This record gives sequence, C-alpha cells and structure tokens, in this order.
Amino acid sequence: MLIHLVKEARRRADLSQAELARRAGMAQSTVARIESGARTPSTSTLERLVRAAGFDIHSELTEAVDPDTISLLESRLQRTPAERLADAVLMTRFVLHGRAQILARRSGSAAPPNALPPVRS
Amino acid sequence: MPCPPFDPDEIFAALQAHKVRFIVIGGIAAILHGDSGVTVDVDITPSPDPDNLRRLAAALRSLNARIRTAGVDEGLPFDVSPEFLTSLGPDGILNLRTRAGDLDVAFCPTGTAGLDDLARDAVSIESPSGVPLLVAALHDIIRSKRAANRPRDRQALPRLQALLARTSRSTASSSPSAT
Repeated sequence: MLIHLVKEARRRADLSQAELARRAGMAQSTVARIESGARTPSTSTLERLVRAAGFDIHSELTEAVDPDTISLLESRLQRTPAERLADAVLMTRFVLHGRAQILARRSGSAAPPNALPPVRS
Repeated sequence: MPCPPFDPDEIFAALQAHKVRFIVIGGIAAILHGDSGVTVDVDITPSPDPDNLRRLAAALRSLNARIRTAGVDEGLPFDVSPEFLTSLGPDGILNLRTRAGDLDVAFCPTGTAGLDDLARDAVSIESPSGVPLLVAALHDIIRSKRAANRPRDRQALPRLQALLARTSRSTASSSPSAT
C-alpha cells in the first residue's frame, strides 16, 4: 500500500530510477520492481528509498471510514455527474431554505419561509 | 431503482402527505444547523404511536421504500406494514432506499428517548415546498452521535462541537438581554 510513496518521492525529487537506486545503494532493477508492484519492499527498504530521495515517512492511525458510508458513496457514484449535480442543487436548495429560517430564529427575527426564489427548471 | 435521485423535500412531502409525525435528525439536521459535513440520506425519528406507524407505513409504500443493502442497488422488498414497524420495537432502525433517495428511520436514536425527547428543543422550519418540519437541536444531535460512537460520529463530533460553541456565542450576542 505504501509502495506508491517510492515513485512519488522519486518524482518529487526529479530523480530517475537509476539515480534513486544509486543514492540508495541498490540496483535500478530493484527500484523498478518495487515501483511496478512486482516486489514488496520491507519497511526498512521503503524508508531507505524515500530518504534517498530526500523525504521521511510519518505513520499515524486514523479512523476507518465505516462500511455504511462506503456503501452510500458507492451507490452515489453510480449516478452520472449531471445527476449528482441535480441532486446537489436540490439538496442545496433544501439546506439554504432551512438554514435561513433557523438563522432567523436564532437572531430573533421573523422566519422567512420563502426566502429563496424557486429553482429554475 | 438502481440509484435514485436525492430529493429530501420529496421524501418529506410524502411523509407530510400521510400526516406522519416525525423529527429530522442526523447528518441532514446537522447540516441545517450549519454543519459543513456531507450527507446523502435523510434521517428521521417517527412517533411510535400505533396510528403514526400506520401512517408511516403508508408513506413508505408511496415512496416505494425497500431495505437498503450493499450489493443490491434497488434494495430488498420488505413487509411495509404497521405490524412490521411495530415489531421493530423502540431500538428499531430501518435503512431504506426510496424513489426520492435514501431514508433512515430510527425509532429511538442512541442516547435519546425518542421523538418526544428530541422534540423538546427542536426547531420548526418549512421545506422549500412548504412542508412543516421539526429539526432536532444541534446539542441533541451531538448527544446522539456521542452515544452512538461510530467512526463517522467520531469524525463529525469535533466539527459539531465547534459549530455548537460558535452558534451558542452568536445567539448569546444577538440576544436582547446581551450586553
């Protein structure tokens, strides 16, 4: 999963595979095999390559995205960009309309139930 | 129904057409309060009153509601009856796919005592098509998310707490008694 970091580090440092391999003290073919996914490097080899390009790797634990969210997002991805845009327009219209009323209540003024013009069809 | 459009107003209009008593909760309620999060479904808590469940069943049928499940785009058919809704009990949760988008029904969201509890501090608004809506208060949304403690809740909580603090300050400063 982390092997893409080798290619990214090399590209950011503007190095060829041969130059990165030379700096890391390994064969160019090894770098090529790692970048292509044909070889899985050890953590120490990964760090060695990334450092040879002038970078460090920092790892941290993050919350996993829950399966429900992934499932919902996958179903949304089945819609075309135009359909998703239409959904966003409907959602935005709904949210702006509601927010205007909640904001009006917070500030103590009369709620404007029809604060927004209708969406053009 | 591979993946329906998402039109919250249409979902609420169907619930209103069948006179369902419910409150808007979850992500969409938080967004109405100003949250910057993203949601692709509507969350509601209905009254568990038997008459209300009868009306809810009728509304769900009008929305062509099916059980939402991974791998079955159109969802799975289920017994959309008052009896089935009653059988779910107070902890019942329905994740539904409807013709107007995804709808989650939680009869008693975690950390709350259901509709009457959530309605106490709720805000009344109207949808763009004029449907009257009760929206759960932001502090109640936070209470429920804190109790639910799912990864997505933990991701949202710092943002919602910051929003609550900010809106509380702005409400206090705009209050007539504020100095």
